[in-house]
Amino acid sequence: MNRIIGIELRRSAALGAALLIAVAGTIVLQATAGRWSMGWMALAMTQREYLAVLSPLAMAAGAWQSYREHRANVAELLAAVPRPRPQRMVPILATTALAVLVAYLVTLLAAAPRIADTARYLPPAAFVVVAVGLVAMIASVWLGLAVGRLVPALATAPALAVIGFALLILAPHALPDGGLTAAFSPAMGMSMFSDYDTVDGQVSAAQALWMAAVAVAGVVLFAVPNRKFAFAALLPLAIGATATVLVVPTGDAYDQGTLDPVAQELVCTDGTPRVCVSRAHEELLPEVTPKARHALELLTKTSIVEAHEDTSTVSPPTSPRSRADTALMTITLDQHGHLAHPRRLEPTMLTGVFTGPLSCGDNRNFTVATAAAYWLLDREPAAGPDGLEFDDPDAVKLWKGLQALPRAEAEARVVAVYQAARKCQDTTHLLSRGAR
Amino acid sequence: MTGLILYVRSRQVPAALGAAVAGTALAWLPATAFSVKGEVSSTVLALTVLLLVAVATTTLGGPDDTLDRTAARPWGWLRISHLATALGCVLMLLLATLLTGTRFGPFGCAVRDAAGLLGLTALGTATVGTARSWFLPLGWTLGAAAFPGMGTAGEALTWQTQAFDSRPAAVVAAVLTATGTAAYVSRGPRTTAGDLVTEPVRCR
Repeated sequence: MNRIIGIELRRSAALGAALLIAVAGTIVLQATAGRWSMGWMALAMTQREYLAVLSPLAMAAGAWQSYREHRANVAELLAAVPRPRPQRMVPILATTALAVLVAYLVTLLAAAPRIADTARYLPPAAFVVVAVGLVAMIASVWLGLAVGRLVPALATAPALAVIGFALLILAPHALPDGGLTAAFSPAMGMSMFSDYDTVDGQVSAAQALWMAAVAVAGVVLFAVPNRKFAFAALLPLAIGATATVLVVPTGDAYDQGTLDPVAQELVCTDGTPRVCVSRAHEELLPEVTPKARHALELLTKTSIVEAHEDTSTVSPPTSPRSRADTALMTITLDQHGHLAHPRRLEPTMLTGVFTGPLSCGDNRNFTVATAAAYWLLDREPAAGPDGLEFDDPDAVKLWKGLQALPRAEAEARVVAVYQAARKCQDTTHLLSRGAR
Repeated sequence: MTGLILYVRSRQVPAALGAAVAGTALAWLPATAFSVKGEVSSTVLALTVLLLVAVATTTLGGPDDTLDRTAARPWGWLRISHLATALGCVLMLLLATLLTGTRFGPFGCAVRDAAGLLGLTALGTATVGTARSWFLPLGWTLGAAAFPGMGTAGEALTWQTQAFDSRPAAVVAAVLTATGTAAYVSRGPRTTAGDLVTEPVRCR
C-alpha cells in the first residue's frame, strides 16, 4: 500500500495542492499574528477560522485532481485492470487526504515558533480544535474529488470553492442559533472575544460529526459507479445533520461553553504582596509582577494589598468578585505575546482603584481617578501609546492642581478620593476644592 | 463569419455563457432570499465576479492551442476582442441584477473586480496555462473576501472587496488589467505538451 500511495503522490496533484494550501494558510495566519499571539488555544481557533480560505482551497484541489484525471483520459484504461474498484478509489482518497492533512499541520507548525516561548497554557481542547480542523480539510478535499468527477469541467474547481466559501461563511448565518451556526460550519464560532475563550467539547463533537458526514457523502459520491446512485450521498448527510442537531448545545448553554473557566483561574506569585494573573496569561507573571508591586507600594495609604488580573468578559458576561483589598489590572497582549503597553499597566490599575467598583455605575468619575492615579505615579496624564488612550484636558488640570499643593495635602485628597470611590460616593470635587 | 462561429465553438463559448447565466442566478437567488437591503455586500459581489470570471477563463484557451497558432489569423485582434467581450458579458449579467431588488453593485466595484480578475486570469493563461490560470485569482479573492484589509497596503492587497472609491484598490486592478491584457494579447495561452491531449468530448 505504501508503494501505491507513493506512486499516487507523484502522479497526482496532491503534493502541489498541499504546497499551495500551506503557503496560502501561512500567509493569512502570519499576516494577522496579533489575533493569535495570546496562546495556543488562540492559534488553534484562529487557524480554524481560516478554514474559510483553506477549506474551499481543499475543495478546489480535489476537483482539480478529478479534472486532471478526466483530461488524462485514462479512466477506461484503468477500468480494464482486473482489480476490485475500491483498490482504485482508496489510493487517491488516501493521498489527497494525506496532502491536505499535512498542509494544515505545516501551516500550524509554521506559526508555532512565534509564540513557543511566550505561550504556556495548553488546554486539551486545543488538540480537539485542531483535530476537527483536520477532519474538515479531509471532508473538503473528498467532496471536491467527488464533485470534480461528476462535473468534469475546468470551471468546476473554482466554482466549487466559491460555493464552498458561501456555505461555510455566508449560509450559516441564516441559522437561528449560535450553536447551530457553529455546528454546521467548522470555521464558525471561532472568533476570540477574550483570551479565555474556548470551544465546548460538545460543539467540537457536533462539528466533527457534520464534517464526517460530509466526508462520507463525498466518498459515496466519488465511488458510485453510476450517476443514478448519486442521491445515495444524501443519506449520510441526513444522518449526520440529525446527529449534529441532537449533539450541539444551543442558546445559553452554547454561550456558557465558549468560556474556559480553567484559563480564567488566577495564578499567583509565592511572595507578598501577591500578584495574580489568569492561567491564560501565566507566562506574563514575571513581566507583570514588578510593575504591579510598584503600584501596590504607591497605594500603602489604602487598604489594597493585592493585584489581580481583571478577568471580566463580555460574552458571556462574567466579572471577578469585587474585593476591598484588591486592585484589578487589565492585561492586553501585543503580537509577540508580551504586554501590549507595559507603561500603561500601572496607570490603568491605579485609575481603576480610584474609580471604584463596577457596581457604582454612573457615580464613577474617570477624570478625577486619572488625575489621582497619575499624581501617585508622578507622571503627567498625556495621551500616547503608553499613556491615556485619548486626551483628557480636565484630568491634566486637576493633576496640575494636585502638583501645586503641598505633598501631605495632595496625598490626603487622593486618599479621600479612594475612600469615596469605594463607597460609590461622588468624587467630582474632592481634588479641586479650595486649599485649606 | 464561419471562422468566427468555428472560433466560438472551439472555445466552448455557448457552454460558458450558459454556465455564467446559471452562476449569476445561483448567486442572485440566495442573495434575494436572505438579504434585506438592496445592494449585496462587497464580499458577495467579489465572489460572484470571481465565479463569472472563472467561467470566462475556460474560453481563453482552446482544446489545442499549439494547433491554433498555426492558423494565419489576426490573433492579437481576436484575443483583445475576446477579452473585451468576456468583460462585457460579465458586466452585462451583473447589470441585469441592477434592475431587480437585489443589486450586485455598485457598478464601479463590479467593473473594477471584473476587469482586475479577468486581467489576472489572462496573465495566468499566458504564463502558466489556461488550466492553472484560476489558482491565483481564486486564492487571492477568497483571502480578500474573508479578511478585507485596511490602510493603503491593506486596501491594495485586498482590492477585490474594497469600496468603489478606494484608490489603491483601483490602481491594483488597473495594473492587473493592463499587464494581463498585454501578456495575453502578445503571447496567447501558454502551450504545453499536455495540451496535445484533447478533451475526450471533442474526440467524438
